[in-house]
Amino acid sequence: MNYVFHIFTIISLYVILGLSLNLTVGYGGMLSLCHAAFYGMGAYASALLMVNAGWPFLPSFAIAVIVVGMLAYLISIPSVRFHGDFFVLATLGFQIIIFSILYNWVTVTKGPYGIADIPRPRLWGLSIASTPAFFVLSLVVTLGVWGLTRRLVKSPYGRTLEAVRDDELAALALGKDVIHFKRSAFCIAGSLAAAAGVLFASYARSIDPTSFTLDESVFILCVVIIGGAGNMKGPIIGAVILVSLPELLRLVPMPDAVAANMRQGIYGLLLVLLMRFRPQGIAGKYASD
Amino acid sequence: MLQFMANGLCKGSVYALVATGFGLIYTTSRVFHLAHGAVYTLAGYALFCSITFLHLPLFISAGLALLVAAVAGALIEVIVYRPLDRKQASSAVVMISSLGVYILLVNLMTMFLGNETRILHSGAEPTVTFANVILTRVQLAQIAVSALFVTAYWFFLRKNSLGRLCRAVADDSVLASVLGANVEATRLVVFVVGSSLAGVGAVLVALDVGVEPNKGFPIVLGAAVACIIGGLHRFIAPALGGILLGLVQGLVVWRTSDKWESLVTFAVLICFLLFRPQGLLGMRQRAEER
Repeated sequence: MNYVFHIFTIISLYVILGLSLNLTVGYGGMLSLCHAAFYGMGAYASALLMVNAGWPFLPSFAIAVIVVGMLAYLISIPSVRFHGDFFVLATLGFQIIIFSILYNWVTVTKGPYGIADIPRPRLWGLSIASTPAFFVLSLVVTLGVWGLTRRLVKSPYGRTLEAVRDDELAALALGKDVIHFKRSAFCIAGSLAAAAGVLFASYARSIDPTSFTLDESVFILCVVIIGGAGNMKGPIIGAVILVSLPELLRLVPMPDAVAANMRQGIYGLLLVLLMRFRPQGIAGKYASD
Repeated sequence: MLQFMANGLCKGSVYALVATGFGLIYTTSRVFHLAHGAVYTLAGYALFCSITFLHLPLFISAGLALLVAAVAGALIEVIVYRPLDRKQASSAVVMISSLGVYILLVNLMTMFLGNETRILHSGAEPTVTFANVILTRVQLAQIAVSALFVTAYWFFLRKNSLGRLCRAVADDSVLASVLGANVEATRLVVFVVGSSLAGVGAVLVALDVGVEPNKGFPIVLGAAVACIIGGLHRFIAPALGGILLGLVQGLVVWRTSDKWESLVTFAVLICFLLFRPQGLLGMRQRAEER
């Protein structure tokens, strides 16, 4: 039974990551490849606060989300000046730079060894140590993120963001501060990814930089693109499919090493086929443009 | 220091080859060809298989590797990019499918050939020493062969009518097709030429350090950075960018250690994107052309 809750918890983490990246990719029309960097920075910020400073869960959560949100804003300042392929290349550059810092700044992050013994959260005297209890916590956070992003995209803010995505020049001509909308969407997405990172750190109880590589960014992008960018259902469908697919493939007898490549190969094939026949994703209405 | 610069030059000459191919494809077809990395890896494996399993001599195997790269590039263009181009898909859609092709191909290769580094021959290489700089024979070959191929490529673009067609399509594909150029055929030529250049780079690296499935992506990213450094308005600029990138990486390894190499590479990229997006050899563009 714990196994089922484990899978649900992982799905909920990717739902948070997918919903947040959907703000940039789906609603903002900015194909970002540094989402795993924000996820990782959130995980590291909270882990360092909890392990080294002995802070409790909630304050570390809040500080991690705020700090990463600020960093995401800083990264967005140079990035949103670019369009199309160059934006992707710039965010990819930031992903690799941040990974390199996490991996090589040994005095703070302990480099490749990572941070171990991260406590499971205690909230109001209630210990959330078991897997089902943790699932309840991450479900609550996921619902919170879902509510927040839903409110955002249904608001005038979200409509303007979509207008910027569809026709930047027209939005500019209508007096919208295009740069502000892009930066803030990037910043909100980064801080929500940090929330997923905090949950991941206290769920896995030990983290190391290899969880936050470029491949992870690509995976989160797959969650959004395969599910369908630019609507609220897409990332949820994407997360369910992409997280449960490897679990289903376990039922097929084959060696572990081959299974991992098989799974990745299937993502690749799915991406190619979807882009060819249904660029808006499984649940999508809008073709990412 | 000279030694590190010389190693950087070798690395840079490989980047130059892969980057000229990448740049040619990007400027002509507007495809951000991430699958170029998979083509590169495929060529390395083709060389490895042909030497190890078929016991063919080195030069024939290298030719075979180039052929495999060229065919793979052409197939990717025909099967994946051409339908997207006909649908006039956006650049994001094309890039994501390119990423998909990369992931698919690399994982297929890993499934069949394993995850470990395949070394083509072991033992010490004969070395050549000039003034405190020691280079192996393979490293010298890297510099010489890339210089040869980049020059040949330059002649192809300048003197050959097919090369001129490539430049015309790169400049304005709609106008070129109005004037009777066959844009799809030109794109195919571009993918064949670009992929073979990547194949040459792959062969040179495979002879030096062997083949690994995941080495293609860092190389194609380096090639993309080299294109930005050099500039995308001249076909030869990525070669210059590649050499410079190799030299910068050599310097970083000399001053600090190789662990900061990727950080510096992408810091250079972001600086260029911010302060000189047209690249070193680029021309200023009017705002409406961007």
